Amino acid sequence: MAQPLVKKDDDRDDEEEYSPFLGIEKGSVLQEARVFNDPQLDARRCSQVITKLLYLLNQGETFTKIEATEVFFSVTKLFQSKDSGLRRMVYLIIKELSPSADEVIIVTSSLMKDMNSKTDMYRANAIRVLSRIIDGTLLTQIERYLKQAIVDKNSVVASAALVSGVHLLETNPDIVKRWSNEVQEAVQSRAALVQFHALALLHQIRQNDRLAVSKLVTSLTRGNVRSPLAQCLLIRYTSQVIRESGTQTGERPFFDFLEASLRQKAEMVIFEAARAITELNGVTSRELTPAITVLQLFLSSSKPVLRFAAVRTLNKVAMAHPLAVTNCNIDMESLISDQNRSIATLAITTLLKTGNESSVDRLMKQITNFMSDISDEFKIVVVEAIRSLCLKFPLKYRSLMSFLSNILREEGGFDFKKAIVDSIVLLIRDIPDAKESGLLHLCEFIEDCEFTYLSTQILHFIGNEGPKTSDPSKYIRYIYNRVILENATVRAAAVSTLAKFGALVGSLKPRILILLRRCLYDIDDEVRDRATLYLDTLASGESEATNDQTDEDVKGFLFGSLGIPLNNLETSLQKYEVSKEPFDIASVPKEVKSQPLVEKKAAGKKPTGLGPPASKPTSAVDAYERLLSSIPEFSSFGKLFKSSAPVELTEAETEYSVNVVKHVYDGHVVLQYNCTNTIPEQLLENVTVLVDASEAEEFSEVAVWPLKSLPYDSPGQTFVAFEKPEGAVSAGKFSNLLKFIVKEVDPSTGEAEEEGVEDEYQLEEVEIVAADYMLKVPVSNFRNAWEAMGDENERVDEYGLGPRDSLSEAVSAVINVLGMHPCEGSEVVPNNSRSHTCLLSGVFIGNAKVLVRLAFGIDASKHVAMKLAVRSDDPSVSEAIHDIVNG
Amino acid sequence: MGLWDSLLNWLRSLFFKQEMELSLIGLQNAGKTSLVNAIATGGYSEDMIPTVGFNMRKVTKGNVTIKLWDLGGQRRFRTMWERYCRGVSAILYVVDAADRDSIPVSRSELHDLLTRPSLNGIPLLVLGNKIDKSEALSMQALVDQLGLDSIKGREVCCHMISCKDSVNIDVVIDWLIKHSKTAQ
Repeated sequence: MAQPLVKKDDDRDDEEEYSPFLGIEKGSVLQEARVFNDPQLDARRCSQVITKLLYLLNQGETFTKIEATEVFFSVTKLFQSKDSGLRRMVYLIIKELSPSADEVIIVTSSLMKDMNSKTDMYRANAIRVLSRIIDGTLLTQIERYLKQAIVDKNSVVASAALVSGVHLLETNPDIVKRWSNEVQEAVQSRAALVQFHALALLHQIRQNDRLAVSKLVTSLTRGNVRSPLAQCLLIRYTSQVIRESGTQTGERPFFDFLEASLRQKAEMVIFEAARAITELNGVTSRELTPAITVLQLFLSSSKPVLRFAAVRTLNKVAMAHPLAVTNCNIDMESLISDQNRSIATLAITTLLKTGNESSVDRLMKQITNFMSDISDEFKIVVVEAIRSLCLKFPLKYRSLMSFLSNILREEGGFDFKKAIVDSIVLLIRDIPDAKESGLLHLCEFIEDCEFTYLSTQILHFIGNEGPKTSDPSKYIRYIYNRVILENATVRAAAVSTLAKFGALVGSLKPRILILLRRCLYDIDDEVRDRATLYLDTLASGESEATNDQTDEDVKGFLFGSLGIPLNNLETSLQKYEVSKEPFDIASVPKEVKSQPLVEKKAAGKKPTGLGPPASKPTSAVDAYERLLSSIPEFSSFGKLFKSSAPVELTEAETEYSVNVVKHVYDGHVVLQYNCTNTIPEQLLENVTVLVDASEAEEFSEVAVWPLKSLPYDSPGQTFVAFEKPEGAVSAGKFSNLLKFIVKEVDPSTGEAEEEGVEDEYQLEEVEIVAADYMLKVPVSNFRNAWEAMGDENERVDEYGLGPRDSLSEAVSAVINVLGMHPCEGSEVVPNNSRSHTCLLSGVFIGNAKVLVRLAFGIDASKHVAMKLAVRSDDPSVSEAIHDIVNG
Repeated sequence: MGLWDSLLNWLRSLFFKQEMELSLIGLQNAGKTSLVNAIATGGYSEDMIPTVGFNMRKVTKGNVTIKLWDLGGQRRFRTMWERYCRGVSAILYVVDAADRDSIPVSRSELHDLLTRPSLNGIPLLVLGNKIDKSEALSMQALVDQLGLDSIKGREVCCHMISCKDSVNIDVVIDWLIKHSKTAQ
């Protein structure tokens, strides 16, 4: 063709490369498509026009139904050409057009002819196109051709038929399932791709039959799957079978196959096997070692993709088994300077997870060098890694904090900055020593912060933490600068922060009052209102200086929480209609809507790594505390010590879904039953739980708080309170019976019938164990805390734990029994070690701080012995801990 | 003048290949695909499967290359006939002369199609097939029942054929070759 596809612009530099697709435009291409109707076809020109059409479609250009149909019918005319190149293009364009054009069925006959033609290229492609356009009745007509094609000598044809089978399985599963014999034959094919496709199809046919999949894997792992791609698939299916078999420990089925795959020739098979092993549930260090070894070899490969794959997998392994990866540290350190920034970032974050205290400084130096080269997303990954590192090695906070503050000053987007600020805030909370320097870094940051959201967050945080520092006055300048320089939202937040300083720091109060008065002339309403309000409250506290009560009020006003879940307040405000009645905040329901569905989903997800303990649990405790104190019967119980995580008392998908939260007080235990009614036709009333405490001798029931009504799909709570000996670690088992009155609901009107029927529903048992009396409270430096506690209340004893599967299993079992917080990553047991020391901290009921040092040893016959050393404020508590282990 | 022209055409045809395009339509089971086979190879098979969509065949007779669009006769394909009849040299309409019940449907489909403006002036050849069967209509009866006399504005011709016994297939081929020049 003489005319070039691209119009060259002479003014431009000839060196510049033009895309051959430059300036292709739908309207003109549709015009060009008329050549398909010419009586004398120009095959080359037609191919070019189809190329343009395909280009447009792949660029996301949409054709209307009429346009697509018109083009489609013109294309069908091209079946007259014998040009094989053009025919190939015809197949492609029909596949692309088939979803949008009408009546594509018209090409069926032509394709069926091609499917049986002598040219293999025609046969393979015709099969692929046919599978896209065919319907069930026609499929039965051509079924026998497809079956033949599956076992065809030509691998291209066989692959095409198999891939078509994969597609057709979605629409016509019954027909495709009849091809099992042919597909099984194809699995034995020598052609790599045929074997791969056949295995995929065979698995897909059987995927809903767990036993069949298991049989398939069993027969195939014995050999003769040679194609690397098929081997990768087989490894995936194998790990699926292992996962579903559910055996946690002991000899795994098929593990030998996975391990043998590590010695295959093809790199992708080796990698797939290594990854499968690392992702096994509860993988042991013995199982992990060979996989880590091959990944380590990949780390020094010359191929970037292998390095990336290996370091990415190791990064994931490091989350659960940091010690397993330490062997690779030297190789990974060389990857920090890798040309590929993705590899470098993954290497460094892995190192941060596996590194020990001594290597932190060196690593930080290396990170600083390449921070500027990487994108925000990776920077966030690095920040998160540093945050968890800092929590692990609290002594290193100084260098980590200065690193965070340095990158805070650099350019970066909102998400990146937010990640840093969140990290600093978390460090300030968890590491008391870091507070002052951290606050100053934040102050520096808001001096030049373009994000209103972050500024207000930080101001709020400074308001809460700043007044408690040794020299609160130094923060005032930063805060007042905000009032002068920033937008209205930030100014208002700054005014609130100033007021908090004024309320808490008596010496600063007069000066704060002066500053607040200046804010009275602000141009923004909100800022002025706040200033006026705070001036008033602060000044009234001053005038009646003798009155401590007022002071308390001011603090309560400034720092106290609303006492109402914000969600409920929001819905109430939305429902409120402007009328004569003022909005009454007391009318907002205080009931916390628990969200069992959401929680279930969250629990189903894999735990996402070593993330720091989020602030969520504390807020949940706050919410529980507020909820419980709103019930008069429970208000006399004193301060809530601990609330457990919800325990499901029903199977999933039952008529009524119930879970229980155990609230522990000094002398009482409250069981909170969260109930959900999942039957739309029912309304439950007067819902209570009948608790049988006969297996819990020390508990006696004191109060029941019934749930008046439980409509469909809106969770409600009922409570049962027990008395128990003050401060004692009482354990017991409670059996539960849900009692209620059922009323039928007319689904059309939503109204319930008058008369109800009493009914009951058996729930599972709930147990109160020693761990319920223990709060997981971390200490920043175990050794210092241990020394500070002194040995006067120390109790030491030795225990035999009997035969165990592994040392780490024994360690985690003891940690679970005690319900304490593992310190300094000591809950992880290194590979193959014969002994291990684990450090735990917590607060026992009665607010007694407890530190525990556990020394484990395992002998050749897998008998585990444990030495338990407890230090606490109170000797009786130390005894109590030993009693827990004894019991 | 006319004599001179036809002589010239004859001379030209000796040196130049001619091409023509035909579309073959009619109700299902009228024998369209069998006719294609009869024209192309002269063979006949009892065992035919319905055409889903269309078949494209190229046949060379003498110095004329005939492109045949053999379209499916089932109801769902009838709306698409028109697309493949545009711009062809002639439309071949095949009727099963032995299936008397289907003649009224055949008639209405044919007249519907011919009202399309895009097909104005295209010659029509109606073929009554299956005259080997005893119950087959006579040519006159077929012309009457299909209402061929009422068709105006195009050349209309009707032949009775049998694909099975190869009756009158040569007449059809002659007719086609004669009309190949009108395609130019």
